Amino acid sequence: MLEGFGPLVRKDLRLELRSGESTVALVSLSLLILVVMVLAFGPGGARRAEVAAGALWVALIFAGTLGANQALLAERESGCIRGLLLSPLEPATIYAAKLAVAMIFMTEAGVAVLAVLVLFFNLEFGAALARLVPVFLLGALGLAALCTLLATVCGRVRAGAMLLPVLVVPLFTPALIAGCKASAALLAGQPIGAVTTWLKLLAAFDVLFVTAGYLLFEHVILED
Amino acid sequence: MAEVALQAHRISKFYGDRPVFHGISFSAQGGEAAVIVGRNGAGKSTLIRVFCGLTRPSAGRLLLFGREPTALQAAHFRRVGVLLHQTLLYANLSAHENLEFYSEILGIADPAAHALRWLRRVGLEHSADEPVSALSRGMEQRLGIARAMLADPDLILLDEPFAALDADGAALVASLVREALARNAAVVFTAHAPLEIAGVELSLFKLEGSGLTPFKDEGRRGALRSLLRRL
Repeated sequence: MLEGFGPLVRKDLRLELRSGESTVALVSLSLLILVVMVLAFGPGGARRAEVAAGALWVALIFAGTLGANQALLAERESGCIRGLLLSPLEPATIYAAKLAVAMIFMTEAGVAVLAVLVLFFNLEFGAALARLVPVFLLGALGLAALCTLLATVCGRVRAGAMLLPVLVVPLFTPALIAGCKASAALLAGQPIGAVTTWLKLLAAFDVLFVTAGYLLFEHVILED
Repeated sequence: MAEVALQAHRISKFYGDRPVFHGISFSAQGGEAAVIVGRNGAGKSTLIRVFCGLTRPSAGRLLLFGREPTALQAAHFRRVGVLLHQTLLYANLSAHENLEFYSEILGIADPAAHALRWLRRVGLEHSADEPVSALSRGMEQRLGIARAMLADPDLILLDEPFAALDADGAALVASLVREALARNAAVVFTAHAPLEIAGVELSLFKLEGSGLTPFKDEGRRGALRSLLRRL
């Protein structure tokens, strides 16, 4: 079913390694957002964990929208998406590959953001950060799934890149709340068992967004 | 009897209320070649996109190898080679990487070697490692044609394949068309003026006033015959 997935992902990563455009843009934007958040709220104080969690997720939201957009940009240039649609690839395979690439871009940005969070918020590299990994991965998967689908829709309209965050943020809000709450609790030193409800909610949204993307991508990618 | 690769029955395409073409019936079977001639903006590119199943017709029925495009199995798409107005090549990948990638997704064995064979076939072996963005328009067109032909398709749809090509490039396309017909593929291509290919019996059609009709301008065809025979 996923025949062609590997070549598609390899091709996108090769394009990215050659230009570095997405990595530079994603990491720069994420760090910039983080710096603004730190300057606005201050790194210290009793609500340090909550502010750090909020900064992390705001940065990830923008990294997600930009990453998904970049993953589809090469296909829009020179009409290459038509080359894929005229190939034996299933639309679901194209979606899965674009989702995987968006996830990779988001993970890059996530690692950079976490590293800077540790510095700005005087966090310790250790168990608290390690416990953030499942929260981050579950959140990033749902966000990448949603952004990939909506970036495909937005790519067909003028100024679609501007429209993407406007569509993504409201739809992702429940998962965003879950991600923020879970991250804040873990950064405050609570055990992973204390955030299982939030993790379940994130997992449920992952299932919803990935299934919706899988089923709808074919309809949004085909031409009228 | 040769397989009917493409069958269009009274297909129409509208953008809003504006008809691009209306009520077109057309078929192409293995071993046959057809040229669709029309002025700029006549709808040739849209017609090719509809014929290959990329764009849905507003009305009418289109069959590729006897099936609706939406009912085609993925494997059937290996049987259709398409050159559109855009070459569908990645600007930041090299000529070889582009053909290798498309060979991979077409499921062709040893895609790197296959890509190299096609680069030699279209005379681009010396530009194999150059990014597409650095190629001239004519070289990119040759590469786009190679991309369309990679899987030896049974139905070949080419939108203005001679555009931007020099005499050698035009002769190359003509020889590829002859080869495709020799292996019983159906070839349909568009041009903005009538043309002929030596050794190939072409059916000429004119797309005009949103309809497709057999081309009857024999005087003009005769005048062009000597000019284009060398293709």
